[in-house]
Amino acid sequence: MNVTLNWLKNYIDFELAPNELADRLTMLGIEVESIKQLSAELEGVIVGSVTAIRPHPNADKLVLCQVDVGGTEALQIVCGAPNVREGMLAPVATIGATLPIGLTIKRAKLRGEESHGMLCSEKELGLSEDAAGLMELPADIPLGTSFSAALGLDDVVFELEITPNRPDCLSMIGVAREIRAETGNALKLPQVDLNEAEADIREMTSVTIEAPDLCPRYAARVIQGVKVGASPEWLQQRLESVGVGVINNIVDITNFVLMEYGQPLHAFDYHKLAENRIVVRRAAACENITTLDEIARELTPDMLVIADAEKPVALAGIMGGYDSEITETTADVLLESAYFNPSSVRATAKALGVSTEASYRFERGADPGIVPAALDRAAQLIAELAGGTICKGIVDVYPRQQPLRRIQLRPKRVNFILGTALEATEMVQILSHLDFDVKTNGAEDYEVIVPTFRSDITREIDLIEEIARVHGYDNIPTTLPKGDIPVPDPNPRTEVRKRIKHFLIAAGMMEAINYSFCDPSCFDKIRFTADDPRRETLKLKNPLSPEMSVLRTTLLPRLLENAQYNRNHQIDTIALFETGSVFISNGEQKEPERVAGILAGQIGEGVYSDPYRSPDFYDIKGLVEGILEVCGIVDYTLQKTDTPTFHPGRNAEILLGDRQIGTFGEAHPEVLENYDLPYKAYLFEFDMEVLVDAAIFAKRFEPIPIYPTVERDLAIVVDKEVLSDMPTQLIYATGGELVKSVRLFDVYEGEQVPEGKKSLAYAITYHSATETLTDKAVNTLHDKVVKHLNQKLGAELRM
Amino acid sequence: MKAELQAIQAEALEAIKSVDTPDALESLRITYFGRKGKLTDVMKGMGKLSKEERPEIGKLANEVRAALTQAFEEATQTLHSQQQEQQLEAESVDITLPGRKPAYGKAHPVMQTLERIEAIFGQMGFEVVTGPDVETEYYNFDALNTPADHPARDLHDTFYLTDGHLLRTHNSPVQIRAMENQKPPVRIIVPGKCYRVDYDVSHTPMFHQVEGLLVDTRVTFSDLKGVLTVFARQMFGDQTQMRFRPHFFPFTEPSAEMDISCAVCQGKGCRSCGGSGWVEILGAGAVDPSVFEAVNYDPNEVTGFAFGMGVERIANLQFRIPDIRTFYENDLRFLRQF
Repeated sequence: MNVTLNWLKNYIDFELAPNELADRLTMLGIEVESIKQLSAELEGVIVGSVTAIRPHPNADKLVLCQVDVGGTEALQIVCGAPNVREGMLAPVATIGATLPIGLTIKRAKLRGEESHGMLCSEKELGLSEDAAGLMELPADIPLGTSFSAALGLDDVVFELEITPNRPDCLSMIGVAREIRAETGNALKLPQVDLNEAEADIREMTSVTIEAPDLCPRYAARVIQGVKVGASPEWLQQRLESVGVGVINNIVDITNFVLMEYGQPLHAFDYHKLAENRIVVRRAAACENITTLDEIARELTPDMLVIADAEKPVALAGIMGGYDSEITETTADVLLESAYFNPSSVRATAKALGVSTEASYRFERGADPGIVPAALDRAAQLIAELAGGTICKGIVDVYPRQQPLRRIQLRPKRVNFILGTALEATEMVQILSHLDFDVKTNGAEDYEVIVPTFRSDITREIDLIEEIARVHGYDNIPTTLPKGDIPVPDPNPRTEVRKRIKHFLIAAGMMEAINYSFCDPSCFDKIRFTADDPRRETLKLKNPLSPEMSVLRTTLLPRLLENAQYNRNHQIDTIALFETGSVFISNGEQKEPERVAGILAGQIGEGVYSDPYRSPDFYDIKGLVEGILEVCGIVDYTLQKTDTPTFHPGRNAEILLGDRQIGTFGEAHPEVLENYDLPYKAYLFEFDMEVLVDAAIFAKRFEPIPIYPTVERDLAIVVDKEVLSDMPTQLIYATGGELVKSVRLFDVYEGEQVPEGKKSLAYAITYHSATETLTDKAVNTLHDKVVKHLNQKLGAELRM
Repeated sequence: MKAELQAIQAEALEAIKSVDTPDALESLRITYFGRKGKLTDVMKGMGKLSKEERPEIGKLANEVRAALTQAFEEATQTLHSQQQEQQLEAESVDITLPGRKPAYGKAHPVMQTLERIEAIFGQMGFEVVTGPDVETEYYNFDALNTPADHPARDLHDTFYLTDGHLLRTHNSPVQIRAMENQKPPVRIIVPGKCYRVDYDVSHTPMFHQVEGLLVDTRVTFSDLKGVLTVFARQMFGDQTQMRFRPHFFPFTEPSAEMDISCAVCQGKGCRSCGGSGWVEILGAGAVDPSVFEAVNYDPNEVTGFAFGMGVERIANLQFRIPDIRTFYENDLRFLRQF
């Protein structure tokens, strides 16, 4: 909401500079988002009167004007405006002034005649698009005064962020009240003195409230014989300064009072109301209304309308009807001032997709107490500015008057909650300045009566906040909490995640974070089978786009997209991982965590000492093994799968017994194609839940060998189908405790190895924990190993 | 014999000077000290000397032997150092060739920031707890004193699921879950993802928050100021100024927003702080009694405070990324920078 410095000063005196005021309001909880000086661009423009006009000797379309600007000598100004005439007041841009259109006024000769300034149109002053002639000013402005000041343009506009709990601050008086709390200065409320006519309103109209739950109060006045037309300059200026559009004097006055008191009003053309009366009721089924914005709207029976004897004439608290609006021919006006139920207004505005200044206030909670005062104020202004006479009396139907809220305030409690040492008298003063009525029942017991405009204050804690913010948060001490620090439970998940992340980062992987939403088509792109349970997703009702319409069930598609994105930006060293939740939808809501990674393109720095190379299956396997190692998981097995995401011959699932911990492998060529990757990509994805479950952190010291180890190399030729792990397992099984480690250091197929065979070379380390192994003992054992390899796997020793 | 010994010494010392390889030196040594060496020969002749001559010649012979032995040792040393020097010179490398850097990755900048925040509150005894991203209206709104017709519940802000759940719009639901599961005192922080329907240079539909909650029997609003002051000093530096402004959140009362002095202009006012000299970093407040009632805590027995901050926002105070969506593109050129 916008307020202006000058407008505020109508209701309270204060000596704060604009910046100071902004600071004070901000520290009261009314954040000032911007400050705008209105007159900054109109310096040097003053009010002048054209005292004499004579023809220009050298130009038909120009005249020479004598302009009195309040000084000793009149200025001669050359002018070409069609509406220039003797006696008119107009803005004069004096020498040196720079206009908003970018023109700087200089002493000039126009067709041989001196011109000491310029008479201006509205367009030249940046006020409107009107360039037809000079801007004519009211005759009562003293000559020579600043044009900005004369029109109230020398004002400062503050853009305020009003939090939803403070609808009372959506008005000049509301903000003025906050300034009062800050300064202690008195409020100056408008003096309303009505001059009522003979005609009695009770004979002219009636108000029936059929839905008092949605409309606890409705008041009306009738003003007869108005002349609808443009509002006076000051009123237009006021409204424009806070960004409210100007319509006609009657509507402008209702808007002015809205900004002044925060009370939305509506003016009906009295003669367009059937039977000239008002019925406040729920809409009937299938009823329609065309609102002021000329949109026909279908109503539902939960919507509150203002109706005449026959039909809805306004959407209660939201917008008036088109058929009963004020027009140039309107002579008699029925003015509405009411209080509507916030939830009802909100629901209706939401359902119809409209939001207006009125609905904005009603749905946050207007002030039922101000209803008649705002009505009287508007009636008075209409009588003053649009002529007309105010009918005698007011119709004020108030079926649901609530007693004023009374809240107990305990000063001790205030100081306890805030950590302050305020005196009760300070608290009382703060509340009084905010128009709370405070009564004491003893030093520790006060009764606070809440004014009707503070719908947000219902409990003692709300009063405590009022005291805190006016006292100033900065004046509250800064302390540290006392009391016990709760002892947290151990958290293995955090530990597992931390270890895995540290390992992957140390291994050269960059951490990615992706959105939790994904595109349902991604499951086709990574070739999930039609019955893959990961196609069962939670769906967004209001997604930003189809690409973000379901919650992810796997981390892999986004990582492939990340690879694609980087490839498209010529980055080919792709090593990314992510940890995060996936969302399972079958039955119970679950969010298991996953850790996944991708290697693609190239590995290395691509320099002399570290040339690029392509990652392969064993790079991704190494990462997988590392993850298992940092989790202390050793008893796992690998098994090839037929997961369509992967190359059928280059993938594996990691099993812990029957439980799958994760999968890894080379992406299937079609997956690569689907993500436009011109090279192979390797993926892994672990189920963090199983990792956390299986992780073993406990470590026990294993003695450092005291007896020497003996290393023997062994190269064997076996059938190509023999997996490298099989000889390894056999060697361990044969050697028992005496085999400390088996390391495969070469795999070879080709020359010197027969077709269909391969050569495997192992380094076996023999060691005994209890003695130094003799050569003889090692030889015996080694021979036994060779023999077993031959018997069980048909392995031939390679010479 | 005396003359012979002196001649051998002179000859040998001279010969050593011209030797330039260890091999040549060794053969020269053998020429004198070998089984048939010149000095050995002379020594063998000692037996033929008279009793009178023997001590004198013997002494001389020992002196010659000692002198030559020392000369050979010195020559060996010299040759060795010369050779090592030559070798080292030959092994000189081009120090401007690139090093073989071990591959290393980096945590995501948002995670780096999150970890710092967790560490600071960890020192103050706050335990990390988490909760689900998919929430119910009850935990996300109702239990947090946000009635059904509150503006924050507009479809516009919240992602709803077709099954009636929603994606949490803040991490505050975990407050409720934590208090339902334990008795006071509670001292937790809740890092995690949350979601709002928003997508522009300063908003991503998914973002990270750290929520904090402290509940005990004697917690005051001044304690909230204290804890957050410690946080801001540690996170942003000792020179950081801060201020607390009244604000509104349905689930805290009194509520506040915390600003820190703008690091770009040191509080003088600049474009990045909108001229105010202050930058908002978090929302906070004393726990509203109605929240305590929702979890069956007695507001007369306990008090508390809660706070919540956007991790991307905090991260970006340092990084100054013009378009916050860059965080989630996972461009490796971006991720490498932090």
